[in-house]
Amino acid sequence: MIDLSFLNSFAESAFFWSALIFSFACSFTGLAAIRLSLKGEAVTSLMAVSTFTTVAGVSLFLISLPELFNVGFARDTAIALLVVGSIGTIIFARLFRMGK
Amino acid sequence: MLVEISVVVYMLVVFGFVAWNIKKGSFLIDPSILVPVLIFIGALAVALLAFMGIDFGIATTTIMKIGAAGILFSGTIPMVAAGIGLLRFGDEYGINIFYARNHIGGVVDCVASLVMIFVGLLIVRLDLAAVGFFFFMLLPFTSNALANSYYYSYQRRIKQ
Repeated sequence: MIDLSFLNSFAESAFFWSALIFSFACSFTGLAAIRLSLKGEAVTSLMAVSTFTTVAGVSLFLISLPELFNVGFARDTAIALLVVGSIGTIIFARLFRMGK
Repeated sequence: MLVEISVVVYMLVVFGFVAWNIKKGSFLIDPSILVPVLIFIGALAVALLAFMGIDFGIATTTIMKIGAAGILFSGTIPMVAAGIGLLRFGDEYGINIFYARNHIGGVVDCVASLVMIFVGLLIVRLDLAAVGFFFFMLLPFTSNALANSYYYSYQRRIKQ
């Protein structure tokens, strides 16, 4: 017979560790993106910085969850990074396209 | 101790399944079959818990959180693979390597947005799902703008 307390603690523990491991994977990809942004040319750097804002935003959103670390202000930072980062990438890509 | 062992087993099963899919290059089980089967198994588990006398809301929340953990585990492998790809594909592969890197960046964005959408829906955090959905809508425009700008800046450099 399955005990509810076991199932609850399994769900909490699995969610905590999965979010933590996913954040570590995001950090690894972010480090790779920073490396690429420092060695590439302008458009490559723009693409790498866009990737970095994505992984940083997702990691920040995950640590703002109450199940993880409950850092409240990280949620606003994550929303700003994800939304403004994408729009800024599009705008700067248009500027690079026009050669300005 | 039993909980930690169960989490490790769950993690290894999901990691193994996703890595096997990536190694094969296509889906082991078609998503049109896999997703309904997983939803059916989750609903069956909730019904079983409710039948055993556990409150329906608590049972649903618990099963959905286990599903969210599975989605987060399954997003880890493509994210690490994309990071390795970003490190691996250097400038020695020629001028068109930018498009491969752009593709890898698209994989990262896609995994991040899909994880945000489904985890947000499963743990009933609609702000997470809404931002993920907005980001998912912006993804093609971002990748297209980057590829377009690289193409035209490269053409301009050739003319100069």
